[in-house]
Amino acid sequence: MSVKALPALKINRTLLTLVNRQELILMAMICAGLAGAYQLSPTFLDPTKQVYLSSKIWDLAILSVPMTLIILTGGIDLSVGSAGALSAVVFGLLYNAHVPIWIGCLVGIGAGTLCGAFNGWFVAYVRVHPLIVTLATLAAFRGIAVGISHAQAYSGFPDWFTNIGQGSVGGFPIPGLFFIAVLVVGLWAMGKTPIGVVISAIGFNQNASKFSGIPVERIKFALYTLSGTAAGIAAILYVSWRNTAKADMFGDMALNVITAVILGGTSIFGGRGRLFGTVLGIILIHETREFLSWQWDRNELNSIVIGGMLIVSVLADSLFNLKRR
Amino acid sequence: MSTTTVPMADRHALIDVKRLMRHRETSVVGLLVLVLVFVGAVNHTFVSLGNLRDMLVNSVPTIMVACGLTLVVVMGEIDISMGSTVGLCGAVMGAFTAAAHPGIPTSFILLLVLALGSLVGLVNGILVAYGRVPSIIVTLGMLTLLGGIKLVVLNGQQFNNLPHSVRWLGTASFLHVPISIIAAVVVFAGLSLVARSTPLGLRIYACGSNPDAAKLGGLRVQRLKLLVFVITGFLAALAAIFECGHLGVVGSTLGQDFELAVVTSVVVGGSAISGGRGSIFGSVAAAILIGTIGPTLIFMKLGESATYWEQAIQGAFILVAVLTDHYRRRSSQHGAHM
Repeated sequence: MSVKALPALKINRTLLTLVNRQELILMAMICAGLAGAYQLSPTFLDPTKQVYLSSKIWDLAILSVPMTLIILTGGIDLSVGSAGALSAVVFGLLYNAHVPIWIGCLVGIGAGTLCGAFNGWFVAYVRVHPLIVTLATLAAFRGIAVGISHAQAYSGFPDWFTNIGQGSVGGFPIPGLFFIAVLVVGLWAMGKTPIGVVISAIGFNQNASKFSGIPVERIKFALYTLSGTAAGIAAILYVSWRNTAKADMFGDMALNVITAVILGGTSIFGGRGRLFGTVLGIILIHETREFLSWQWDRNELNSIVIGGMLIVSVLADSLFNLKRR
Repeated sequence: MSTTTVPMADRHALIDVKRLMRHRETSVVGLLVLVLVFVGAVNHTFVSLGNLRDMLVNSVPTIMVACGLTLVVVMGEIDISMGSTVGLCGAVMGAFTAAAHPGIPTSFILLLVLALGSLVGLVNGILVAYGRVPSIIVTLGMLTLLGGIKLVVLNGQQFNNLPHSVRWLGTASFLHVPISIIAAVVVFAGLSLVARSTPLGLRIYACGSNPDAAKLGGLRVQRLKLLVFVITGFLAALAAIFECGHLGVVGSTLGQDFELAVVTSVVVGGSAISGGRGSIFGSVAAAILIGTIGPTLIFMKLGESATYWEQAIQGAFILVAVLTDHYRRRSSQHGAHM
């Protein structure tokens, strides 16, 4: 190897450690998509427009952080949307009963946390397949939300409360700040503490992790609980943004969150994936969705494109790995 | 251990109950009978022939697709795309029978719908078996994708001028037995027969319990996976025909949350999500049991608000089923240690 070739090689290596293949593909797709969007309709990329459109994605973004960690352990949480709906309804009920709003918020988020802990207990200690547990609680939590609210909507919250979801600090939406806080905590835990390695280890080989002294049960329980907490926070922010709390909100939230995480390159079998990829997945889904609605005003196109992207990206990943083997 | 203090005679009794309870079908059917007796005692119309027939007719789509999904789950895979498949098949049927296409014979439309459902199953199957993509991801993607196509086909409309033969399938009776129930019984009996007493069924269970051994034994695992997905897709189309015939209208909510009802039936019916274990009879019994939740809440006359709890009870059913599994497993482990 010549000396001249070395720097280039180094750059290549650092690039590879910074972004992996899936993330490169995603970035290329986002850039190409945005360029195409700019060609078709230059005003779509207007910063104020983008900030306005971003209000629709923060709940999904907040939920995708714990979901990435859960899928990394080889699990899944289908019930986040229902847990969020239950949190919102509890909050709405308390508001109707003239409980101070901040107590309502805390109890609402607490309800979400309890939902998560319930999932976590079943998955970690009763050792039921997470798909089955969260499928059951997907129905159960929403059922409880519908039951205690009689499918009625709560609204008429005070201005200072709705300002949290609708307002912005220095031009940046407040729910976005919540997302960034959650993301930074996630990145810190995954990158700077042993938790990152431990979570991936559980996803790679649960038994080996257990025998090497990792408290697998406790970590799983904590992750599902945190997912419930995140659902509570996202739900309160959503209520504050929309000024209504109703049991049918967050209907296909779990599916969209999982799509974003999987698109971001996290393996559904666990062990492989990063939060950075998830963020790219969220951006891709969000921009695609908003541009389709913006350009053609057809919301049903969204699900076709997103479903298609999910299948194609996972298929491409699988075929690539097949060839390499 | 406390069990050692149990007198000998009682222990035998315990073991007998355990042996019966080991079959999930027994507990599901027992619970179903309990519901019928209990609610029937409170409100006699609940056990009237008319109501029993209505409850069964309402469960027909779930029963049909649960039969197919049981085989998918036995193979160690899952399919959650049925809700959108049903919706899309219904939408296509509605679009073809709309005023814009007057000359198309109904039999052709029905064949087209059945072919469409099978095609969805084929795509699912190819992606899972040959593309090696996890089935939960494939069918999640298909659920989203087909849900969108359904809305495009419907284009904001609602079709309620379905052909007479479709309406007849959904509403008519033969010797006082609704056609749809007969169709569900045929599907159930046919698939049960295939699963229990043909080499094909044996192969499906063999692949599910140990795919590697099955492969080494010369079974074509991939082809079998393809087959069970196609069967499920076909049955989803069949379910769509009967559902539309029964409702008489195709709208954007057709098939919504249908996949949840089917998966719940299969899980409560005793199929193991990890594959190898599951009975079509159990799934069908569970589908009927779950179909009684809504009517029970109405017939118990608990007040208007009671009906809001239907979904919560459905979720609770899965959790209870899962918990009994867990404790049974634990007690059998204890038994092994003794």
